[in-house]
Order: sequence, then structure tokens, then C-alpha cells
Amino acid sequence: MVKQLFVLFLLTGVLSAQTIYEKNCLPCHKGMAVKIDKFFYRYLLKYSSEQEVKKAMIAYLQNPNVKDTILVDGLINRFGVKKKTTLTPQELQEAIDSYWQEYNVFDKLK
Amino acid sequence: MLALKNWDINLRWSEKKTLLSFLLLYSFLTLLILVFVAFLYYGLQRDLMLQSKREALSNLTNEQIAKLKNLHINFAKEQIYPRDDRFNSAIYDSSFKEIFSTLNSKNVNLYEDIYLKEGKIYFIKELESYYLGARYIAIEVNEPPFWSKKVYEELGLYGAILFLILTFIGYFLLNIILQPMKNAIALLDRFIKDTTHELNTPINAILSNIEMIELDALDENLARKIKRINIGAKTISHLYEDLTYLILSHSALSFDEDVELKPLIEERIEYFSLIVESKKITLSAELHKAIFLHIDRKKMTKLFDNILSNAIKYNKINGSIHIVLQEGCLEISDSGKGIEEEKIAHMFERYTRFDKTVGGFGIGLNIVAFIAKEYHLLITIHSKINEGTKVTISW
Repeated sequence: MVKQLFVLFLLTGVLSAQTIYEKNCLPCHKGMAVKIDKFFYRYLLKYSSEQEVKKAMIAYLQNPNVKDTILVDGLINRFGVKKKTTLTPQELQEAIDSYWQEYNVFDKLK
Repeated sequence: MLALKNWDINLRWSEKKTLLSFLLLYSFLTLLILVFVAFLYYGLQRDLMLQSKREALSNLTNEQIAKLKNLHINFAKEQIYPRDDRFNSAIYDSSFKEIFSTLNSKNVNLYEDIYLKEGKIYFIKELESYYLGARYIAIEVNEPPFWSKKVYEELGLYGAILFLILTFIGYFLLNIILQPMKNAIALLDRFIKDTTHELNTPINAILSNIEMIELDALDENLARKIKRINIGAKTISHLYEDLTYLILSHSALSFDEDVELKPLIEERIEYFSLIVESKKITLSAELHKAIFLHIDRKKMTKLFDNILSNAIKYNKINGSIHIVLQEGCLEISDSGKGIEEEKIAHMFERYTRFDKTVGGFGIGLNIVAFIAKEYHLLITIHSKINEGTKVTISW
């Protein structure tokens, strides 16, 4: 019993150490045919700056629609438009910030 | 320029000042025009050079964009920014934030299309697809060799030609401006020449006839009248000599010799004695012997006469004059009305007269200045209003 409680406590600790992005975004994208970094580079290709990219991502996640998607028609037809986010605006902002931090090109180019 | 040939003789200080101001203003405006034209020419040549480079730079930029596209697609595997020996480049996002740069300059004007800065040409292009988030790409190459040298050589050549043309125009403008001034001076000089010519014969007649009169044989009243006529005639004679000197003598050759000053001064004091006496002036002199000056005797006489005649003319009745001759200097002090300090500098200008209550043309000290300049004599004047004036001639 004590051992079970300890494992549960450890699991809760590990889960709570994960970021919102890791908890709410990565699990769904993991199994997708198009990896999550490809979405980032498509946004970058269309919106360029950090501010514009984040603004476009937040707008789409809060109100997903065919008109604003950056996916090509073939993928949209195959997988459809995603569901609206359940995250609060603050949580969404935090998740997008983590996403930007993970894939932005600024400090990675050599 | 006719007036400039006799600059020292014909132009007064104020006129020279006006001319100098005009020349300065004209030179400044000429320079301003030349700088403006040079600026325009340089800009035109620079734009032509940049236009000739535009196509080549656009091709280089397209090559770089193709490499960026490739990098964007494979960014997960490859993160090395594409470099090229022919140029440096930089990419910026839509908020003008630098993503990566190999440029020498950190300040790139992304609002420009193509421009030249510190020997480098910068070509800016906006991307249609923002690979790696890059909205702007800047390419930096060296400017063509010797391009600026060639432009500066052309500028120097055309600038010199333009300057010569403007100088030529300035010459005509100056002539037009000087014409009324030259006319006025010529009129005055002609008047003095004519007057001088007409004075010669009557003055000589008066002076020689007075000398022939035996004053002792006349009664006292008549002798006094003759003395007054003698003074008047000598005054006119002095004026006549000044005018003659001004018109003819100063340009004539000098006959320089070692002149002993003591006897010369004594002779001139004797010459002026009647005039001194008529104003009841006490004249005292401390004249050292054997002081020589290598000078034209007539010119030294003229110089001394003019200073002494001024000391008498501007003195008061019962005043005094003191003359000191010593090695290296001659001083003539008077107890006259004096002159303001700020006017002293202008005393030597021709036709300048500060006290019009006594006669004269204002040429005496101008002659003094000419003689002093010719023989490198230094003339200093110290004066106090209502106390007197001291003129020192040093050598």
C-alpha cells in the first residue's frame, strides 16, 4: 500500500513538472503523420516574426477553421480540422511560448 | 581690375572692407554652389553604378534564397547558414529582427532597395515565402575598385572648370560694383591735380615777393600784416607740396642718403616758426647730434613737416610742442585737443579728417604713412582728449 502510494506520488510529481505544451500538445501530435515541428516551420514560412507566428497560432487554436489553416488541402481533407482548444488564454499563451522556444531558428543557426 | 592695380593708393579701409566682405560672400556662395553640384553629381554617378550592379546582385540574392529554402526544408537535420565567397548576407524577420548575419555592418537599412555605405554595396530584397522566418534578405558586396577615385577625379576636373567660370563671372560683378567707387576717386584725384596745377604759379609769386620785402624798413603794423601773408602763403605752399607729393612724388624714385636729422629738424622748425609764433605756441626741442637716417631728404622733410604741421594746426593758442630726437626715435608731443583712441587707426587713411574746424584735405598723415611704409619706420600715436597727442617715429 505504501509502495503504491509512493509510485502515485512520484507519477503526480513528474506529471506536474511537465509544461502545458508537453502535457496538452505533444501527446496528440505524437501519433500524427505530420510531426509537430513541421507545423511550426509552416507557420514560420507564412508569418515570419515571433509576434505574428504566435498571434496566428493562438487565433487558429481558439477558432480552428479551414480558411486559416496552414495545412495543405490534401491533409485537411484527410485529417479534417482539429477541435477547439480547451486551454485558457493564459495556458494557451504559455504553451505557444514553449513551442516557440523549442523550434525557433534564432539561436540554432550556425 | 583697374582699381586693384592701385589698391593701396585708391581704396580706403572701409572700401577695402566692403570689397573683402563681397569677396568672402561671393567665395562662400561659389563654394556652396560647387559643393551642391558636386553632391548631385556624386549621387548621380553612385546611382548609375548601383543600377549597373542591380541585376547581378538580384541573381546572387535568388541563389541565396534557394539555399535558404533548402535549409528551411531540412532544418531538423541541418542548421548551417549558407555562406558564399562572393558576398556576405543577412536575413531578418518581418519585425526587422536579425535572424542571422555574416555582414560587416550591423546597421542595415531595410527600407532601401540598394545603397552604398563605407565602400560596400547593400542589396535588400523581400522574400515571397519566409524561409526560416526571413522576410528580408540583405546582400553585401564590395564596391567596384577605383570607382570612387574616378568620380573624385571627374569632380575635381569639372569643379575646377566650374570654379573658373564662376570666378570669371565674379570678376565682371566686382567691376560693376567698383565702377561708382572708382568714378568718385577718379573725380577727386582729377580735381586735386587740376587745383595743384593752378596753385603753383601764384604761390611762388607770393612767396618770392614776400622774401624780397625788407621787413625792417616797414612800420610795425605793416610788417605784422606781411608776416600774416607769409604764414598764409606758407600754409598754402605746404598744402601744395603735399598735393604734388601725393600725385607725383611717392611713385618717383627716391634719392636715399644718410641724412643727419638734427639740422634738418632745426631748419623745419625755423620754417614753421612764424606759424608757431602766430598761435603763441611754445616750441621746445631736445635734439641729439649725429643721428643719421638713410632716407630721401625730401621725403623725411615731408614726413616731419606733416607731423609738426598737425601738432601746430590742432594745438590751442598758448599751447606747447615738444620735440625729442634721440637714437632710434623721434617724438613730437603737443598740448592739442587730442583724438579718440578708436579713431587713431583710421588717421592715416586718405581724405580722413576728424576735426573739420581747421583746413586741409586729410592727406598729410596718408603721406606720412606712405613714407613710413617705404622706409620701414614705425609710427605710434598716443592721444588723450583735451590733453594732447604724442607721435613717435621709431626705426
